[in-house]
Amino acid sequence: MDLILQSLFSGVLQGGSYALIGLGLALVFGTMKVINLAHGELVLLAAYVAYTVESQLHISPLWAIPFALVLVCACSVTVYFLVARIKTDRELNSLILTYGLGVILTNAILLTWSADVHSSTAGWLQSALMVGPLFSMRGKVLFFGVAIVLMAVLWWWLARSWYGRAVRAVSSNRAAAKIMGINPRTTELVSFIVAGILAAFAGVAIYSYGVIEPSAGHVLTIKAFIITVLAGIGSIPGVLIGGFLLGITESLTVTYASSALQELAGMVLFLAVLFVMPNGLFGSRARRG
Amino acid sequence: MKCSILRNAFLAAVACCMAVGTAQAKDILIGVDVPMTGSLARVGTGTAQGIETAAAVFNAKHDDYTIKLIQIDDESQPAKAVAAVEKLASEGVVAITGGYGSNNVGPASAAANELGLPYITSGAIDSSLTQRGFNTFFRINNAQGYRKAVVGLLETMQVKKVSILYSTKEATTHLAQGAEKALSEKGVTVSMHAFSPGMTSFTSLMNKVRLRDRPDAILMSGYENDYIGILRAARILKPDVKAMVGLWSLATPRMIEDFPKLMQNVYGTASLPYPVNFKTEAGRAFAKQYQALFHITPDYVAEYAFVQARVLFAAVLRAAEAGTLETGGVAKELAKTDMQTMIGRIRFDAKGDNVNFSNNMGQIQGDKIVIVWPDNQASGEMVFPGVPW
Repeated sequence: MDLILQSLFSGVLQGGSYALIGLGLALVFGTMKVINLAHGELVLLAAYVAYTVESQLHISPLWAIPFALVLVCACSVTVYFLVARIKTDRELNSLILTYGLGVILTNAILLTWSADVHSSTAGWLQSALMVGPLFSMRGKVLFFGVAIVLMAVLWWWLARSWYGRAVRAVSSNRAAAKIMGINPRTTELVSFIVAGILAAFAGVAIYSYGVIEPSAGHVLTIKAFIITVLAGIGSIPGVLIGGFLLGITESLTVTYASSALQELAGMVLFLAVLFVMPNGLFGSRARRG
Repeated sequence: MKCSILRNAFLAAVACCMAVGTAQAKDILIGVDVPMTGSLARVGTGTAQGIETAAAVFNAKHDDYTIKLIQIDDESQPAKAVAAVEKLASEGVVAITGGYGSNNVGPASAAANELGLPYITSGAIDSSLTQRGFNTFFRINNAQGYRKAVVGLLETMQVKKVSILYSTKEATTHLAQGAEKALSEKGVTVSMHAFSPGMTSFTSLMNKVRLRDRPDAILMSGYENDYIGILRAARILKPDVKAMVGLWSLATPRMIEDFPKLMQNVYGTASLPYPVNFKTEAGRAFAKQYQALFHITPDYVAEYAFVQARVLFAAVLRAAEAGTLETGGVAKELAKTDMQTMIGRIRFDAKGDNVNFSNNMGQIQGDKIVIVWPDNQASGEMVFPGVPW
């Protein structure tokens, strides 16, 4: 019993982490129909900012969040302006463009921080936290909470704020939104900024409880992409559920089969959901963006 | 008169050229294929530094020949390693050294073999590499040496149950399987757990090991990022084990510096203690030269690279003196190697494996690496039971 409980608990926490990584990609995908293949690298960039702050200033990586927000949002805005220059076949050409930007970012990270493996040494974040009979790392639980809060805020923002409604309107029908007085370019820019904010939090989270290296960016992008598709385009609750599903599936696979099959199990889940529900778990009905 | 002056000037010039020619050392180009970026950059840098030290020592000793290194970064990728070998061949190198990771060295050394270039390494221990029938491939260390060290340590600890967590890469898988076989033959109960190289969260796996296997010791067959992930999960779940044992790239000064708490009492293969204490004159000379060049203390990665390069340069010198440098002489001279080095006697079998290789096991204690196995190499007492939590 302890085995399955711990497995589910670890899977849920891991799922929260995946959801936080996938949220920014889902938002941009929902509003612009652009798959930002540099999203993982933006997350990784924030992780390296956290590493720099911790190693140079000898303070908790949590203090890196403001620095990461500025840098990652600036990069995200740059990605937006480059994507916005695409006039034809934006969905396909943006794939190529953002893939290229991801490669450039990876190499910039490599040149700036070298290829060494880095991980936080913050004792508080690394220490064990017991929830009844269940164990986890304090940092993982903390950022699980942060992920839930950010998702709730994003959900509220999309549902209640003017800009949130504008994002949904542009996502639904760009031309009609324009006629109604919404500037689609500003709205899309806002989406990229919000995606940058989410990527900054995700990056600091990953550095706080994981291991980073320059080649990790594309792995993060793949995870984010799987969750976005599992969720259904633009669905915020779907991202959370998709993250949980992926995390729990991987965790149960490790516990009851083999850890070598973890990635395969995630892909099988991805294909199975697409086969049964081609629009993803939440399709277009429950969409908030 | 004018003709005579011109003739004398010409003869003087020829004489000068001849004089310079005899006084100048002959350059011998050696290719260095190493991962300076990518996941193996840390060990690749150590390897490159060890080779550069060997070249500096060689050049200081020999007036008639100068070793010139041409280094290419293979970015820790097999395709780039092959491209590096082809580029080095086009630059006219007579042999290639370096390489790290069996999955990179495998295709790189195959490319070198096709081009007729000898390839010597200390960074690839996969058993299959020496089963290919190449007469140009040589390595100074191998899986048997690592396996013997790990199994020897676990035997000394008298553990009855061991869980082996291994990355599904070739070298780590073969080593784990070899350790499983050797430990099972000694009556130890072994549980095997494979994991993908990109795995980041080891909590579920460690929990399974903790609750199902209940081992006396955990053996980790992986690389730096794997060790960090496994040790982190173990620190949280605190399995009731007596030892956490790893392989290469673990008991290194850099890991102690970066993760001091996480690495406490962890065991890993290490031919040298830290701080380094060389017992031989050759070892002390290596350390002095290395520190002069790089202003840091050498670790075992640099030491192995120094030894592999020294073996190669000795073979190159013999081939050069025999006039067979350009006609496949280097590989033949390497095959004849019988040399005492800092890591012991080196002699290659017909497949290019060093038949005398054996490794030591070190334990991280505070900011030191203490050699704890075998007894005749030990630099201190083992802390046992000992775990990082």
